[in-house]
Amino acid sequence: MSVQDLLKMSLSSLWRRKLRTVLTILGVIIGTASIVVMISLGLGLKKASMDQIEQYGGLTTITVYANEGGYMYYGGGVAVSSDSESDSSEPVRIDDAAIEQFSKIEHVEVASPVLSTWILLKQGVWENSASLRGMSREALEKMDIKVAEGSLPEEGGELQFFYGNAVITEFYNSKTGENPFYNSYDWENPETIQTADVDLMNTPMFVIFDTDAYYNSQYGGTDENGAPIPAPKKYMVPACGLMAGSPAEWGENANSILCDVEALKAQLKKIFKGKAIPGQPTNKSGKPYKEIYYNQAYIRVDDMNYVTEVQDQIKALGFQAESNVEWMNQVQEQSKSIQAALGGIGAVSLFVAAIGIANTMMMSIYERTKEIGVIKVLGCDMSAIRNMFLAEAGFIGLIGGAVGLMLSFGISAVINVVASKTYASGISYIPAYLVMMALVFAVIIGMLAGLFPALRAMRLSPLAAIRNE
Amino acid sequence: MAQEREPVIQVKNLYKIYRVGQNKVRALNGVNLKIYKGEFCSIVGTSGSGKSTMLNMLAGLEKPTKGEIIVGGEHLERMNENQLVRFRREHVGFIFQSFNLLGTMNAKENVALPLTFRGVSKKVRMDKADKMLDLVGLPKHKTHRPNEMSGGQQQRVGVARALVVDPEIIFADEPTGNLDSNTSAEVMELMKKIVREQNQTLVMVTHDNHLASFADRIFHIIDGKIVKIEDNRKNGEVRTS
Repeated sequence: MSVQDLLKMSLSSLWRRKLRTVLTILGVIIGTASIVVMISLGLGLKKASMDQIEQYGGLTTITVYANEGGYMYYGGGVAVSSDSESDSSEPVRIDDAAIEQFSKIEHVEVASPVLSTWILLKQGVWENSASLRGMSREALEKMDIKVAEGSLPEEGGELQFFYGNAVITEFYNSKTGENPFYNSYDWENPETIQTADVDLMNTPMFVIFDTDAYYNSQYGGTDENGAPIPAPKKYMVPACGLMAGSPAEWGENANSILCDVEALKAQLKKIFKGKAIPGQPTNKSGKPYKEIYYNQAYIRVDDMNYVTEVQDQIKALGFQAESNVEWMNQVQEQSKSIQAALGGIGAVSLFVAAIGIANTMMMSIYERTKEIGVIKVLGCDMSAIRNMFLAEAGFIGLIGGAVGLMLSFGISAVINVVASKTYASGISYIPAYLVMMALVFAVIIGMLAGLFPALRAMRLSPLAAIRNE
Repeated sequence: MAQEREPVIQVKNLYKIYRVGQNKVRALNGVNLKIYKGEFCSIVGTSGSGKSTMLNMLAGLEKPTKGEIIVGGEHLERMNENQLVRFRREHVGFIFQSFNLLGTMNAKENVALPLTFRGVSKKVRMDKADKMLDLVGLPKHKTHRPNEMSGGQQQRVGVARALVVDPEIIFADEPTGNLDSNTSAEVMELMKKIVREQNQTLVMVTHDNHLASFADRIFHIIDGKIVKIEDNRKNGEVRTS
């Protein structure tokens, strides 16, 4: 019996019992849709988390910290205990030689020093304590920074500021202490948000680098000799550019001011002549080193699969290295369990649908006992009879799966519209492979449910057909 | 002489014993018979005489308890179910008492059905079915569904379906049991005519002595034993086994 004839007979017997076929298919539709929508939610959540990781510096970046012999310093001087395995006697700091070393590691795309310091911005009554990050021009170019206005800072020369899009949100009125951004922030209506009346690009910005001295002078602090501390000098730093994005948008470096590392180094040396630069390591007697060490190094790897490898190599050099790989692995673990739980809920309804298919097929066999007997007497192969019933059950699965998928796309679209305020990129995500898997799965479930009835049909006695009644 | 030809069906010492509770019922109790090519034979007997069991075994629908059934040189009692299905598909045509046409198919599709199981292409099997329906005298009912036809017409379709595969043997189980006497006679004449023209072998089971008399040879069966074989072609010759 040809495959074509077999499929045709299966379809015609499904067609013969339209209502029952439709009802059975309905079960499969609901089962498939629930399983697909549930998994799409899991995938959507995972995608949202991955996007978030991307915002927090991407999946291919490694941040290297100096190893200060038991403690490591972040920009502000916060001490965090290091890995116990690292050699605690000899501090390993990041200097130009170290950056050179990093850039020679295989798969490293960019290795840039990061010199960061806290500065105070002043314009009229508006003040802002912001983080200034000096990086190499090469790294700035490769960080996919979207420029709204102006350009990235020039290499060398005078110090220029490139403002992150969220820097404006941190300005507060130094007289009232109020921050218009936080006062007007409305999570649901981002268009009503207001920011400080500060012109970053065109109006001169006064910058205080020695913030400790500034605050001490503000609140009447004294030095060790009891003399009041004079207010530190203010510098006027021109802006070179502004990052694209609304103030409320979060992204890598959105809250930072970027500048060229060499220009920053020169500026800091000039300001803190003979004094310790805040955040810089000191020797045992508390005196600063001649050289300026970098707080961090920014490293970009060409492929996310090599991140762990590069990270290990940097750690082997004695540095502290962090990347989003651990976070990403955690997210993936988590999303796996979420998907399993959600998929399990969906699977229950598909299981019920499978029982429905089995029931329909059994009923069909009881009704068609005589017909099955007749075709057996007329010489229809046992395997052909089995295949005919399997094909019928498979068709129920296939049609149910296909319609269920269409329904899933509809439900997914509705969910995404409803959740669009929380998850801009959508919370329900149906990739192509899920479509294929759902179809194959529905057909397999249908055929599994039809297997027992099909075997039963195959073994029916042909005598039943010619028994006269 | 008929005996000199090669028999199409040869049954040797055939027994079929059913267990009903504690009792053993001998449906067939040592049957021997030979049927030759081109013969129209009828097996006649009362209800419960074992005639239907006999036919089921000849067609490979039931397994014997003991004995041999050789059809076209093959031993049916040694075949498994798959082989029996193949045997029926390739060697046997079947005419049922209750017609057993598929209600979802029209006359032509019903006739073509056994060819479907042989894997014959649609065009070829429809052509053959067409010719067969002409042969049984239903040129105007080819696209009718079974429920749009009379009993006699339905059985003609049944006959066409049995003949379409060009089988070596045709089995008919009370083929006129559901028809009135006039229609019965018509169908019997049709079967007889076609068997003659096509040189087919037909084995028919009936309880009706009159219908049985259409056949060339008549096997009388009582309590699982063949008690008498009549030969219509040589009038008056009667043998007892």
